[in-house]
Amino acid sequence: MTDSEQISKITEIIEAYPKDQRFALAAMQDMQHAFNYIPEEGIAALSEYLACAQSQLYSMATFYKALSLTPKGEHIIKICNGTACHLRGSMNLVTELKRDLGIEPGETSEDGKFSIELVNCLGSCALAPVMLVDGVYHNKLRVDQVPGIIEKYANAGAEGGEQA
Amino acid sequence: MSENVNKTLTVTIDGIECICEKGEYIFDVAKRNGIYIPTLCRHDAFDNHRACCRICIVELKQRGRTKIVTSCVYPIDGECEIFTQSDKIREERAVLYALLAHRAPDAPGLGQMGTALNVNGVDRLVTIDNEKCILCGLCVQACSSLGTGAISTVNRGVDKKVSTPFDKPSVFCVGCLSCANVCPTNAIEYVETETTRTIWNREFELQFCDECGTLMGTRESVAFAAADVELESPIVCDECRKKKLANEMMITYRFV
Ligand code: SF4
Ligand code: FES
Repeated sequence: MTDSEQISKITEIIEAYPKDQRFALAAMQDMQHAFNYIPEEGIAALSEYLACAQSQLYSMATFYKALSLTPKGEHIIKICNGTACHLRGSMNLVTELKRDLGIEPGETSEDGKFSIELVNCLGSCALAPVMLVDGVYHNKLRVDQVPGIIEKYANAGAEGGEQA
Repeated sequence: MSENVNKTLTVTIDGIECICEKGEYIFDVAKRNGIYIPTLCRHDAFDNHRACCRICIVELKQRGRTKIVTSCVYPIDGECEIFTQSDKIREERAVLYALLAHRAPDAPGLGQMGTALNVNGVDRLVTIDNEKCILCGLCVQACSSLGTGAISTVNRGVDKKVSTPFDKPSVFCVGCLSCANVCPTNAIEYVETETTRTIWNREFELQFCDECGTLMGTRESVAFAAADVELESPIVCDECRKKKLANEMMITYRFV
């Protein structure tokens, strides 16, 4: 996406909402969705549109975990670290992912393919340990299954997304 | 406020009878009657208080029941007895103080308060090195109430702090020092030389009065304050402006 494309997309997202500060969060969520993060220009444009301080929007963007100010990976891996998953070895999954992708929870791989997040209970304790990739559940996961799953997503990205 | 606002009540604070209006905050009534309640996050400049440090807690006895309330934001709604120094309050306040003092061990104001309150810290708590901020948010409130809105609280949980967006020098900051002056723990640092002031990573040039040479603030803050008054030049400080006005009046009315 070029800079001007990005700017017109930002404008499109923002102007879909009335000029009212209560829509700030919704507009930022849309930006997160469109770009995988909230660009600095997005915050500037939104603050102008809603006539509120940039600092206020920045505060919100850093407060909510669903919003990110640095680009997130194409695929988001969530490891549940709730009590049940933790006891059933979710941290071993984290170690395995680190071996495969070289990143820790909260980081994004250098090729921009994957981000890892540690999350709290997903409500699927009976299926512990649980790993979510792009919203798809991988249940009762064993460490030796992790590389295969990662590979699937890495290749899927290569076929579909390389030119985009 | 409700229609009962003007109803006067008599309450006792630490045994002293105080007259107050319904809806007044306990702290304000105590202060008016010369009773000291320690505070951190409360500032006279604002009507809506942060109610965040909880150092100002007091014991409230009403209708035979006792409870602990936050005096800076607790409106008195009926006859009651208030204790600002009871054993229970001392104990609870000491814990609150210890939490804050461990969070911000380098805050100069906090150390003094600890001595004044005569409390000892709780040793098992971990301190944060070089931290001075108790995250009360007064600075943010000051900045946004001015209309500059350059700073805000950033992140959440243990990573929470006060900063400008992206930790970059803010184009909206005017270097007025409102944040630094309002801070109860002197946590906001700035550097001043003969001609410049640096705060929140941005350097400002200082503005001196064209007439008498007193420091008026940064160029930006003077212009910001003058924005709705129309910036006149030469730029003169309040004192000099008054003098000039008086002189003009004298000349105008000389023959009257
Ligand atoms: S810098 Fe001072 S005023 Fe601002 S939040 Fe921290 S303690 Fe409060
Ligand atoms: S002064 Fe009342 S809560 Fe801080």
